[in-house]
Amino acid sequence: MFGWLGKKKSASIAKDRLKVAIMTDRATNSEYPFMDELKAEIIEVVKKYIGVKEVAIKKEVDGELEALSIDIQLDK
Amino acid sequence: MGTVIAVISGKGGVGKTTTTANLGLGIAMNGKKCAIVDFDIGQRNLDMIIGLENRVVYDMVQVMEGECSIPQAIIKSKVNDNLHFLAASQTKDKSVLCSSKVEKLVKELKDSYDVVILDSPAGIESGFEHTIEFADEAIIVVNPEVSSIRDADRAIGILDAKSQKVKQGQEVNKYLIINRINPSMVQSGEMLKSDDILDILNIKLIGKIPEDKSIIDASNQGRPVVLDKKSEAGAAYLRVSKRLCGENVAFVDVESNQASGMLKKLAGIFR
Repeated sequence: MFGWLGKKKSASIAKDRLKVAIMTDRATNSEYPFMDELKAEIIEVVKKYIGVKEVAIKKEVDGELEALSIDIQLDK
Repeated sequence: MGTVIAVISGKGGVGKTTTTANLGLGIAMNGKKCAIVDFDIGQRNLDMIIGLENRVVYDMVQVMEGECSIPQAIIKSKVNDNLHFLAASQTKDKSVLCSSKVEKLVKELKDSYDVVILDSPAGIESGFEHTIEFADEAIIVVNPEVSSIRDADRAIGILDAKSQKVKQGQEVNKYLIINRINPSMVQSGEMLKSDDILDILNIKLIGKIPEDKSIIDASNQGRPVVLDKKSEAGAAYLRVSKRLCGENVAFVDVESNQASGMLKKLAGIFR
């Protein structure tokens, strides 16, 4: 959708960006369906030594490099 | 046996609690017995929205722990006898929830009410998972804004993975409410249209709620906006409530703002 000055309206930019972001999210989640169990097991292991509040796992891609980044939030 | 509806979102602050309060009251106004339960443990808010914060004696965690019975903890609405409310615990945190206790609570409520609405905490952590586990249906609330829509998609994915009904091979009905629509921004192309959001999330629409000052005014007073039939948001919530009660209510185009609505009417006269 283009406005009268030929500038793309922000709603249409939002739609395009969302489509790509959600497609990537869905692909990551179906690629690693064990993510929740992995999370639960990490919590169990770390809990033996220190209190854990939350574990977040994200897949990060940087060119050729693929990594899982694991964030462990400690329970104060 | 009643229906259990979980009100969820991915992101916080999109209007889940307001939606729970208004749909609960709207369903009660349609003559059905409805219980609304605040599952947002540690961040109790539903009591304020429906104006019952001074009446809370027992909360749902105490019911689950067996410290009191459901009838003891239930609070009746001041404005409609059909609406009953169960408060969240304000002192504990979400980790007190466990599947078996939640299941027992939800089953007991289901036996005594036509509709049970669970107000889920935001995010996709344990509190959220317990809310969706035993729900028959889910209402996903989004705002026409990128982060809310993206997070909603993730929440829908988790709903499909964790729901007991899905695990048993059945389907959980999922309905979308688009909240805080600003008609003039949609008109000028600065806000996503409902059709675009539906296209992205691919679930059934059950309501479009326009942004409305009456919402804040209503929450200030602890009287859900659905009581104010003159307000646009109130009327929109009443339409959703009727749809949930099985009535076939036509969708109103809340996205064309009043000014353009007037113009259309004028144009209609001269056509």
